[in-house]
Amino acid sequence: MMDDAAQAGTPACGCQLGRILREAVMVGALGVGLAFLANQLSPRGLNPFMNYSPGRAKASAGARPALTPSGASGATNASSPAALLAARLKENGLRLLDRAGVEKLFRDPRAQQDAIMFIDARDEDDYGKGHIPGAFEFYHYHPDKYLAEVLTPCQLAEQIVVYCNGGDCEDSESAALFLRDRGVPAGKLFIYGGGMTEWEAARLPVESGARNSGNLRNPAP
Amino acid sequence: MKRPLPPAGLTRLDAASVLARWVLGGFFIYMGWQKALHPEHFLTLLREYQMVQSPLALNSIAVSLPWFEIFCGLLLLAGVAVRGTALLLAAMLAVFTVVLWHRALGVQAAQAIPFCAVKFDCGCGGGPEFICAKLPENMVMFGVSVWLLAGRGRAFCALYTWPVR
Repeated sequence: MMDDAAQAGTPACGCQLGRILREAVMVGALGVGLAFLANQLSPRGLNPFMNYSPGRAKASAGARPALTPSGASGATNASSPAALLAARLKENGLRLLDRAGVEKLFRDPRAQQDAIMFIDARDEDDYGKGHIPGAFEFYHYHPDKYLAEVLTPCQLAEQIVVYCNGGDCEDSESAALFLRDRGVPAGKLFIYGGGMTEWEAARLPVESGARNSGNLRNPAP
Repeated sequence: MKRPLPPAGLTRLDAASVLARWVLGGFFIYMGWQKALHPEHFLTLLREYQMVQSPLALNSIAVSLPWFEIFCGLLLLAGVAVRGTALLLAAMLAVFTVVLWHRALGVQAAQAIPFCAVKFDCGCGGGPEFICAKLPENMVMFGVSVWLLAGRGRAFCALYTWPVR
């Protein structure tokens, strides 16, 4: 093995280690600086000063329950994941809905006038592949992109259902809290715990592409 | 008494070490890029470790680590400050491996499954992986980093040693 000291004909010594350490510090400092700069310049960059999970502080230190209610409003087992989740949402002034509840709201005629509003809290790709028909897109990691379009309808709506993929996805909860913190009354906000995974599995109508694109799968009979 | 300088041509070991440097660099660029494409996904996965509670600290890691890995990977590919970069990567890999191990033990206990059946997305950039594949992979990369740190892989370097005082 040849290092600088060996090549120079001198034995390796502590100064060699010191030089490597100084080099590592320089690389580290420069790398961190450039990394933050790259994040600033990236269109996908995040704001380091924003709390993207506002409900987290209130959450218990233990594992978070999955967002898969088995009849959330009627959960009987107080320690079931659905009941734990419902309790946590309640702490934040939110309510959990199961599929039957969401389906009922979806079929409610008020949904046609956006008095009942659906918000898809997943990213652009997932939204484009398929969302609940008429759902607004709101990916809270890039709020500036969506907030202007979503906030006014949220103020006008009577009920707002927010969903993501379901399972252990937390984006629906975070998005709802984000909206709550921007003035949308928490009483209007509902979380669909089963999310898009459950909705699609139940072969309910799914719209692909842009909102109201008309590209429907499993259209209602 | 001066030791003889190495021959001008590359030995097989030299060639292997340069290849290892490039592979390690490429690996970090790929893994970093996967995370940089979806920093919010990486942030979500980082939260699952429950090691950092402060949103500012968590966000800072999520936004900087992917690009930092890309930066280190580029340095290794170009052969700039190789030993300093290798030291940083070795330190990072050591920390990542311990944290991964700890998380895997938690998952194993929670799911009551054999250790090697533990599979989750560690946020490393490669999606869900079995822990018994991920840990050896990390150890191999750690070994390569240490190898480079020891002075190997110096052929085809733009600036092997950064001019520091």
